[in-house]
Amino acid sequence: MSNLFEHNGAEGRGYSQPAPVLPATEITLPAGLGRKNLPRWPRLSEPEMVRHYTWLSKRNFGIDTGFYPLGSCTMKHNPRVNEVIAQIPGIADIHPHQPEHHLQGLLSIFYEMQYMLEVCSGMDQVTLQPVAGAQGEFTAVRCVQEYFRLRGEDQRTKVIVPDSAHGTNPASAAMCGFEIVEIPSRVDGRIDLDALRAVADETIAVMMITNPNTLGLFEEDILEASSIIHGVGGQMYYDGANFNAILGITSPGLMGFDAVHFNLHKTFSQPHGGGGPGSGPIGVKAHLAEFLPGPLVGRRPAEEHEHDGAVDENWYHWYEPQHSIGKVQQWHGNAGAVIRCWAYYRRYGNGLRTMSEHAVLNANYLRHAIHKATKEAGVDALVVDGADAEVAKHEFTLSLAPAKEALGISAMDVAKGLLDMGYMAPTVYFPLVVPECMMVEPTETESKDTLDTFATRFAEVLTIDPETLHAAPITTPVRRVDEVYAARNLCLRHPYDDD
Amino acid sequence: MVDQLPNLGREAEMLAAMGMTSIEDLFADIPSEVRMKGDLPLPPPQSEEEILADARRLLGSNVALGERVSFLGAGLYRNYVPASVFQLVTRGEFLTAYTPYQPEVSQGMLQAMWEFQTLISELVGLPIANLSLYDGSTAAAEALTCSVRVHTRKATQKDTVYVSELTPPDRLSVMQNYCQGAEISIKFLRHHADGTLDLESVAEAVGSCGVYVEQPNPLGLLDGGIPQLKEILGEHTALIVAAQPVSLGLVEAPGHYGADIVVGEGQPLGSPITGGGPIYGIFACSKPYLRLMPGRIVGRSIDVDGKVAYCLTLSTREQHIRRHRATSNICTNETLIALMGAMHMALLGPEGLHALAVRNMTACIMAKRKLATVDGLSFPHSEGQHFNEFVVELPGSSKDCLAYLDSVGIVGGFDLSAWYPERTNWMLVTFTDQTPEHHIDILVGRIREWVSTLEVVA
Repeated sequence: MSNLFEHNGAEGRGYSQPAPVLPATEITLPAGLGRKNLPRWPRLSEPEMVRHYTWLSKRNFGIDTGFYPLGSCTMKHNPRVNEVIAQIPGIADIHPHQPEHHLQGLLSIFYEMQYMLEVCSGMDQVTLQPVAGAQGEFTAVRCVQEYFRLRGEDQRTKVIVPDSAHGTNPASAAMCGFEIVEIPSRVDGRIDLDALRAVADETIAVMMITNPNTLGLFEEDILEASSIIHGVGGQMYYDGANFNAILGITSPGLMGFDAVHFNLHKTFSQPHGGGGPGSGPIGVKAHLAEFLPGPLVGRRPAEEHEHDGAVDENWYHWYEPQHSIGKVQQWHGNAGAVIRCWAYYRRYGNGLRTMSEHAVLNANYLRHAIHKATKEAGVDALVVDGADAEVAKHEFTLSLAPAKEALGISAMDVAKGLLDMGYMAPTVYFPLVVPECMMVEPTETESKDTLDTFATRFAEVLTIDPETLHAAPITTPVRRVDEVYAARNLCLRHPYDDD
Repeated sequence: MVDQLPNLGREAEMLAAMGMTSIEDLFADIPSEVRMKGDLPLPPPQSEEEILADARRLLGSNVALGERVSFLGAGLYRNYVPASVFQLVTRGEFLTAYTPYQPEVSQGMLQAMWEFQTLISELVGLPIANLSLYDGSTAAAEALTCSVRVHTRKATQKDTVYVSELTPPDRLSVMQNYCQGAEISIKFLRHHADGTLDLESVAEAVGSCGVYVEQPNPLGLLDGGIPQLKEILGEHTALIVAAQPVSLGLVEAPGHYGADIVVGEGQPLGSPITGGGPIYGIFACSKPYLRLMPGRIVGRSIDVDGKVAYCLTLSTREQHIRRHRATSNICTNETLIALMGAMHMALLGPEGLHALAVRNMTACIMAKRKLATVDGLSFPHSEGQHFNEFVVELPGSSKDCLAYLDSVGIVGGFDLSAWYPERTNWMLVTFTDQTPEHHIDILVGRIREWVSTLEVVA
């Protein structure tokens, strides 16, 4: 057991620095503003620091460690060349306030990414500024809010979200000041059009929905839902969390949506980094484009005197949308993430459809393999589909309700059992509409062999006697962590001896 | 030909196992009315080699600051991040992990973030820090809404916050977007001509929910009046101070002079500028704000065997539990960049931080002295002490001066007319630990040259 704050040597020199340009004695500070005590930071040499973080890394599970079927998170492989590209000084060492002629390469990539996301989503204009999916939701709902304000439709104070929606949907809409109307899903997990009709009126500003939905099912009635909302003058918002299922096959634009966010860290493989950075661009139809946060990237034919700085025949430039809502991040969003995702998209280009096909192929194959393996192991009575459907899309849900009822084995027990088998567990207890839910998303970058083995192991976990499974995991760096203890005995920082 | 797909060529076999014959069978549930017709109008797939070559060509055409002599800062600061930080942060176990929902296999990142919280807490002098927000502007915006949640019930100026009138418009715009939904009114604090905050205008903020100031201020000035603010405001108004974290190696931690919330752009610790993102926002606060603060927090706990173990805690504030009543919609944050910050802080240690602050501030002092020798320049805030940057008032427009500097290979400072439209002659020049003396000499020489061309024309 090692703790960063146990280190107190190296004379405070983990790395040595060049001398300052003037001696410190030349510094004067306003009276009373000088720091009296330096922070009680640890003192490590580089060898100690490297060993500490390497040790920590070994106590962490990433996609590189093993199969990571975390539903709704699209944990696909992160190609390493993207990391190499992100370290090129032309992205790592540039400032957002540099003039356009210093940044033609960056702007051309931004332009290409705007275009790529536009054609994949069927939207007319994309901004890359939002830095996470939730911020994309917030930004898009803000744009719709300003759209209605300009039209004088101030009575539109409500946003509809299905009960199966990710928590960020209602949270983002509420941050904009909207009242949330939650509608129930049908028993099969799909949208209930009658429930939708019952709440749809001229007080509705937006409906937020994802398709495929959080159960991994395609909402076949999506055009009808769009027409109900548009019929009362509202706007349709597409949560792009599940975009990996549909590239090149269908698009939010074709489904009647007016605005969409993308999770570049899901669909386009920006590494999740243990919780970020992400990137959450949004796309909108033409009538909302003038409200987007600026600046956006446009282009025009390069003039003769610009040829030296141009990267192609065009000159790329920033511009402000006419009725922009302003900014949601001070700079140009997570440019470094956008670059990585550009490199990822270039691998597929017009073959992005193949990527989605394989994501859906893998998900359905795994669903089938799990049912086959549980049957062979004689435990198929313990697990059922979370929703009845011939085919799932990029993810699917299972319900461990029968196991819970028969043996007292919960979805969490199975999740912890899978950790012992060397896997990251699927998402558990989401969406809430499925009892004892496990949400499984293998992604397209897992091999058939990995899926087959996982299915066998999954069945094996269900054969473990309940008492043993309640005690899982036993092979992990720590065993089940007491989250209640953490909340009741708050320890949010290192307790120093002299505190 | 696409790559990255292990099951290319095995489709038929996998479909057969499911009793299907075609990939199309998997999409039978998508109505034809919403099907995309034809191929995506995009270029064909590329190999890794081709992508890398294109990236090098396109990004290589950008002007990286390190290729030039540069004095551009204005909120982002070039620094040196030790090589070990980059080497360690790309370890796949950190890089390719998701948010640590399964703590048993996420102890590495959880502990690293708990350590990060401690490092930030110590740095800013407050007991609680979260594990990052998106950037300094969103951290500032979340601090304002948090201050209203905590204080508006007892406030005499309900749903009202005050921010410095010098706040850069792009940062203010983020604040306005975050505040408008809660119908929070943003009012402004005035500054004196010497750049310091007008304490009489602070008195007007008494009874409001929160007051936001920056130390150093957006023009690099260290303001000796800010430690008096808490006494003026009293306990029912949150004092929110945004700090440049490196400056805290010299300047008193805001938590030690009464700040209730400290925010800031974490970037100078651990992260390259990267065009403005991904970077990370610092958010720290005192105990009364804990249960209404935004963002993820790691707590130290125990496992079933009583062993020390870490997990996310206080989740009942967050969107995945509380949905529309959450304190913030934030989910994905900037964990990996915060991890780079933690690694950099761990290597610096207290004395290293002090040394780094000294390097930044002395570069600024030297530049001020040398630029003062150029006839025709003046310094609106010359009485004050500056960290990283200060305003130079030019005898012509900043725009012209910057164009001239650019023509001789210098990335000059920041044209302040972008923030304050009437200040067409104000340029903000920035100096960091990456500014050696000869760069300052080059700048001084070139500005002198530019001034002399103006005189010839006149």
